Amino acid sequence: MPEIHSTEQLLQVIALACAVLSLLIGAWYLVRRPHLNQVTKSMLLLGLGVFPLIVSLTGNIASFQYTLTRPFCGSCHVMGPYLRDAEDPKSNSLAALHSRNHKFGETSCYTCHADYDMFGAVTTKQNGMKHLFMYLTQYSGTGPDGEGGPPIHIYKPFKNGACMQCHSTTAKGYLEKHGDNVEEIRTESVRCIDCHDVVHPLALSRRPGAKKEAAP
Amino acid sequence: MRTPTAKALVFYAVIGTMVAMVFMGATIIYPHPLLLVIAMSVGQGIAIMSLALYLLGVALDLQTQGGAYIPYEEPAVAEEPAAVEEPAPVEKSGPPKE
Repeated sequence: MPEIHSTEQLLQVIALACAVLSLLIGAWYLVRRPHLNQVTKSMLLLGLGVFPLIVSLTGNIASFQYTLTRPFCGSCHVMGPYLRDAEDPKSNSLAALHSRNHKFGETSCYTCHADYDMFGAVTTKQNGMKHLFMYLTQYSGTGPDGEGGPPIHIYKPFKNGACMQCHSTTAKGYLEKHGDNVEEIRTESVRCIDCHDVVHPLALSRRPGAKKEAAP
Repeated sequence: MRTPTAKALVFYAVIGTMVAMVFMGATIIYPHPLLLVIAMSVGQGIAIMSLALYLLGVALDLQTQGGAYIPYEEPAVAEEPAAVEEPAPVEKSGPPKE
């Protein structure tokens, strides 16, 4: 029997167990067709009300946790090159370097690309819905890595704030390296990825034949 | 138009819940983005509708006292009427009059 290592896995097990119990109660009712007496009503209340509610709550949390992980981001084939680069132990791209950092771990895509404002998680998931729509309508018939589809571009310029969540602009080492640009970096007039530009080297927009206006 | 009986409502509620549970369970086993979106929206919508149908069915059943399912049986008629006992004479008792 597989061991449970995280809260997400525990929630998944609870959700699955409750779904199975609900299905068993439903099957029992369909096979036996008992009278609607008090016992039947109580059983059906469990099968149609309590267990589905638990499945919904635990399943939603577990699913939301899973949507933060890199395998989920890479489950659409157009993201294949990004995923392969991020997981390549020899790659020196920013995506790979950060994915190797244990503090990012499996959630490296979300950690860098999520909005950090108050409703950041919500707006990020809204963009995810947009991604899914675009994937279904524009990339479903493209090549193994999205070849033939329109270039993938980021919705809005990548903010320095995402980098500054970890890289403090007041640290001594940072000040020594960045010298007079610190204020410009803080005010976003100079972007971090203008200099540290090897972010996703295998991105569709960086491959031969891609349109020039596409951002990394 | 036939009025839906409580039993029919509960039947559809059970079917709906089972479909929703299959959706949600499949999402946990195979979390593909499209399946996840369907389970979190359509699946949960079906589950909520099913619960509402079940509660409506139970309310209808309580209103009709379950008569739609349990056939009404005529009460057995007694062959011999029970003998009517004459009331026993009541003895008047009270405080002795002086």
